[in-house]
Amino acid sequence: MNVAKRTKKLKALLDIRIGPGAAVLSNDIKRIHLDFARKLNDGHFGARKLWRKYLPRLKYHNPAISMTVNRTLDQDGPATLTVFFAPTPKSSSATASPAPSSSTDPSTVPSGHTPANRMETIDMKHKHESEILSRLLELTKGMPYEASPDEMAEMTDVDDEKRRSERDRGAQARLNELKKQEKALLDLARGGVEAA
Amino acid sequence: MTSKAPVIYLHFPNRCSSFGSPVLRCFAPSIPYRYASGLSRNDSRARDQPKKKKKQRTEFKNQSLRDALQFSLCDAMRYIRAFEVGRNPTSSKYDLAIRLRTAKNGPAVRNRLRLPHAVDTSLRICVICPPDSPAAAQARNAGATLVGEETVFDAVKAGRIEFDRCICHVDSAQKLNKAALGRILGPKGLMPSSKTGTITKDVTGAVKGFVGGSEYREKLGVIRCAVGQLGFTPEEMQRNVRAFVGEIKKDLALLSDRIGKDIHEVVLSSTNAPGFSLNGDFRSPTSPPTRDLAVL
Repeated sequence: MNVAKRTKKLKALLDIRIGPGAAVLSNDIKRIHLDFARKLNDGHFGARKLWRKYLPRLKYHNPAISMTVNRTLDQDGPATLTVFFAPTPKSSSATASPAPSSSTDPSTVPSGHTPANRMETIDMKHKHESEILSRLLELTKGMPYEASPDEMAEMTDVDDEKRRSERDRGAQARLNELKKQEKALLDLARGGVEAA
Repeated sequence: MTSKAPVIYLHFPNRCSSFGSPVLRCFAPSIPYRYASGLSRNDSRARDQPKKKKKQRTEFKNQSLRDALQFSLCDAMRYIRAFEVGRNPTSSKYDLAIRLRTAKNGPAVRNRLRLPHAVDTSLRICVICPPDSPAAAQARNAGATLVGEETVFDAVKAGRIEFDRCICHVDSAQKLNKAALGRILGPKGLMPSSKTGTITKDVTGAVKGFVGGSEYREKLGVIRCAVGQLGFTPEEMQRNVRAFVGEIKKDLALLSDRIGKDIHEVVLSSTNAPGFSLNGDFRSPTSPPTRDLAVL
C-alpha cells in the first residue's frame, strides 16, 4: 500500500498515546477484566465504548497489565469491570518468558504470575464510558499521561490538516456542483436542438 | 517511540501539513480551481486530439521509505497489543507483509516454511496413498488426519472436504488424476501437484512440514504470512520474523539473475491493527521490558 496513505493512517497512533484513558496505573494491578453483553441494549453501551475507545490507550501505557474482555450473549446480565490487585512482583521471578496463553476465559489466571489477593468491581451498567473511566482511574490511582511538547505539536498538525481537508472538501464539492449544473444546462441545450 | 514526526507528505505536496518544508508548502493551492475558462472548451479540445497512451509500468511502484515512519519490533508490538486489546487471542494473529522490488510479470515466489514457533497448530492434513502401504502408516504417525485413496476421492466428490491440506504419494498420483478432482480441489488450492511439492515420495517430511508450517506466496509484489499468535513474546516473534525473512531471502537468491528481486519493506500487522513498517531493530530505548509485551 501507498506509504503516504498508510502513514496517514498511523496518525491514529497519536490518538492511542494521548487522550482520555491515557494514564499510567499503579503497579500493583495485575489485571483488568471487562464483562458485558454483545449488544448494547439495556445499558451495555458504555461498557463497549470503554473497551473500544479507552482500553487501547490504557493498554498502551500499561503493557504489563493483562486486559481481557468477555462478551456474553446474556443481554440482561451484568456489565462489570473487575480490577485484580496483587503485590508488586519481584523482577527476578519474572525473567522467564511466560508461555503464550490462548484464552480470554476469565477463569484462567495468566501463568507465571502471583495470584491476585484483592479485587474490586465497578458496575458499568447504564453508565457513560467517561464515568466508568473516571471511576476506574480513581480506583487504580491512575496518573494521567502528560503529552510531550512534540506530541502537542503533532496534535496541532493533525488538527490543522483536518481543518484544511474540511475546507478542500467543501471547495471540491462546490466545484463538482458547478460542473454538474453546467453539464445539465448543456445537455438541456443539446437535447433541445435535437428535439427541434 | 520517539515522538518526533518525520515529514511524510512528500507525495501529496498540496496536502503537506504545516511542518513540511516551505518549498513544498508553496505548491499548495488555496482552492483548486482549474476550470476557469469553462468546461466545454476543455472537453472539445480533449476530444479532437488523439489520446496519448500512458506507458505501462513493468514494475510495481515502490514508494521511497526515506521519510516513512518505521518502528522497532517491540514498539510495533506495543501498539499492536493496544489495538488488539480485549480481542480473542486465538483468532487474532500477527502477520507479516514483505514488499518486494519486482517486475509485474515473471515467476512469483512461492514456498512454505516451518517457523520456529508454530502459528496454527490445528491443521487437518489429508494424505492420498494406498491405505495399507507403509507410506500410510508413516503419514498417520506424522500426524495426518485422513489417509486413503478411493475413500478420500468418494468423500471429496460427495462434497465432504474435511481437511485443510492435501498431500499425495507419487504412486497414487495417477489414480488422483483419473479421479478428476481438480475441479473440486483446484479452486480451494488443495489439489496436490509436484510444483507445490505436494506430490512427493517423502510423505512424512511433507506432513511434518505442514504441521505447524505455513505457506506463503507472492501476490502483487507482496508476500503475506501469519507469523505469530498474539501471546508471543517479542523474542519469539523475533525468531519467527528472522526465520521468515531469511527463508524469503533464500528463495530470492535461488531465482535466476535475470529476475532480480529483493526485499523492499517489511511490515508487521495483525488482524485488528494497522501495519507497522519495521526498521530492523529489536527494541528502541523507550520500549517497555519485553516480558510485559506478552501479557494479553
